[in-house]
Amino acid sequence: MLLTAGGGFACPADARCASAGHFWEVFHIQSSVNGIFAIVFLISTAALLFLDPDGFLSALLKGGEKAATLSLSLLAVYCVWLGFFKVMEQSGLSQKLARLLFPAAKKLFRSQNKEAVYYASCNLTANFLGLPGAPTPLGIKAAEKFCAAREHYGADMLFVLNATSLQLLPTTVIALRLAYGSANSVDIFLPTLLATLFSTLLGGILVFLTRKRS
Amino acid sequence: MKYLALIVPLLFLALFVYALIKRVKLYDCFTDGIKEAIPLLCSLFPYLAAMLMLSELFEASGLAAKLTSLLAPAFRFLGIPPEIAKLVLLKPFSGSGSTALLSEIFSLYGADSYIARCACVAYGSSETVFYISAVYFAGTKRKNLAKPIVIALFSNFCAVILGCFLCRFI
Repeated sequence: MLLTAGGGFACPADARCASAGHFWEVFHIQSSVNGIFAIVFLISTAALLFLDPDGFLSALLKGGEKAATLSLSLLAVYCVWLGFFKVMEQSGLSQKLARLLFPAAKKLFRSQNKEAVYYASCNLTANFLGLPGAPTPLGIKAAEKFCAAREHYGADMLFVLNATSLQLLPTTVIALRLAYGSANSVDIFLPTLLATLFSTLLGGILVFLTRKRS
Repeated sequence: MKYLALIVPLLFLALFVYALIKRVKLYDCFTDGIKEAIPLLCSLFPYLAAMLMLSELFEASGLAAKLTSLLAPAFRFLGIPPEIAKLVLLKPFSGSGSTALLSEIFSLYGADSYIARCACVAYGSSETVFYISAVYFAGTKRKNLAKPIVIALFSNFCAVILGCFLCRFI
């Protein structure tokens, strides 16, 4: 996925999907990022107080500067790929691929719930293609439908497939390498693909093996 | 490996020809997509900046070197270069944070080095597990998420080991 998980925090659109009653569940998991940030920041600062107090501000400024340059490279990446994906969406290619996946998805998620499987197969396609931002809302919809139908197997499978990454072409990585002067930026395509196929397969098999038998 | 460079241009060519057949207004549509780039970057920028500042601070305090050397034996045993330990640890929590770390590894070791290639695979083969679990299950009544989360983390870690192994040959 190019960007779905970009923020590390839920974007406003995602937050709207979480109803108010479940606020604490989101907070609980997201607080892990907040916790890590606070702990690492405080410990590092404390260590710097003894070692090199002058280094504190310069480290922060250096971080900000790096963020500025990285943002420019990322902006270039997004321009190219967001344009590409818009064309893909408008030409109807993304929807076509999702429809092709539907029969296989029904077996994969062991579900009779048409709506859930439809959203799930759209989610898978968006993942494969690395459509930025697209898999998340589709995945949320699918997970909701699976859970409402009490099909936890489908929901678990969907989550594990998403969390182990399904992207076929790591667009961000390739473009970032190019920006940092790589001579052959595409050569990580094959190892990444094999590794991510492996993780996805392993995750899927583990979900299958640990399912509740009924 | 020369043919791999053909993937991206061929993808564009195939899509644009297909779009033209479907009578999509190519220029309008392409620019429409680009329009979303700046809002996207703006939504990401604060997290990138905060994480990079934190990472610099962590580095300057000498704690990063300590953590890396602490984990080095275990990572080396598994064939993962210890230099990417931070990235592997951060990835499940923060996507933009790991993007920041990835770019740092590129500028430190060079984008074509073995370490950078391992970092690419580690970055590209996994997702932000905790973020996805929070967002996907937020609207449902699902309580016990331990099993799927453990499965996802375990699979992703295995993929990093495999990826670093593959990077030696491919």
